[in-house]
Amino acid sequence: MTDHQDALARLQAAGFDLTAFSEEQREVLSALTPHELGVLVEIKGRLDESAPEVQAHVDIAGGALF
Amino acid sequence: MSGPGRSAALRVKLDLAAPVLDAATAALWEPSGRARRYVAYLYAMHALVRASVPLMERAARRCAELAPGDPVAGPLGRYLERHIEEERGHDEWLLADLAAAGADPAAARDGLGAPVVAGLAGAQYYWIEHHHPVALLGYIRVLEGHAPAPGLADRLAARTGLPAAAFRTVRDHADLDSGHLAALDALLDDLPLTPGQETAVAVSALHTADGVTRLFLQLAAIPGGSA
Repeated sequence: MTDHQDALARLQAAGFDLTAFSEEQREVLSALTPHELGVLVEIKGRLDESAPEVQAHVDIAGGALF
Repeated sequence: MSGPGRSAALRVKLDLAAPVLDAATAALWEPSGRARRYVAYLYAMHALVRASVPLMERAARRCAELAPGDPVAGPLGRYLERHIEEERGHDEWLLADLAAAGADPAAARDGLGAPVVAGLAGAQYYWIEHHHPVALLGYIRVLEGHAPAPGLADRLAARTGLPAAAFRTVRDHADLDSGHLAALDALLDDLPLTPGQETAVAVSALHTADGVTRLFLQLAAIPGGSA
């Protein structure tokens, strides 16, 4: 397996759905470095830890950073 | 270069993190206990925002030390000097919001700051000091890229019952930050970054998205109340 295939495979193994990404975007993701991959896999785990039903009964959404 | 520009490539990477951060933000605004959680959010945002200008000032000083031998340091330093003035005093806005909400601004000013907030800002100090100040652009990109939507302040005010004066920071940033993001994306596309520096920006951005997600999930776990 090449490094590029490995990056995409790691993302998919972590549960990321890459089907909505274009070929050009997948090319970007295939070149992710180990540090980038590591943080992304951690982030994905946080969604799995949190309650997935949260968004179902929220009447306010949107960013909140400055 | 072939393929998407740097700002577009960074956006692709952040798009992977977006559903998680969106879920955490949704949890932050859950109806139960929203007034109490909004006050806790103001305390947390003050802890974070009070570091913004000092971080940029330190990064700008590092740029001055690195230039002129570093082709990134000059334009980066000039961008930071401009952005410092755009962000200056916003921690004071949050203290005023806290007072309007009936909370104690002194508790924010004197507070330790949550470890997750220290981890967000602290990582930036590390990369500025020990790698390159360009990493700070990833942090700024995430903060500017999740500015409050227009109308968020009014919806929160209506649903929490807190006075409108407690939402100045949220309200005003809905107007301010859209232009900031465009300027930052243009800078990312123009800077002569090495591949290593481009990775530093991306890792910094993803680390920031992760830290903000953790912060919002912690705030969301605050027990509910009547509003």
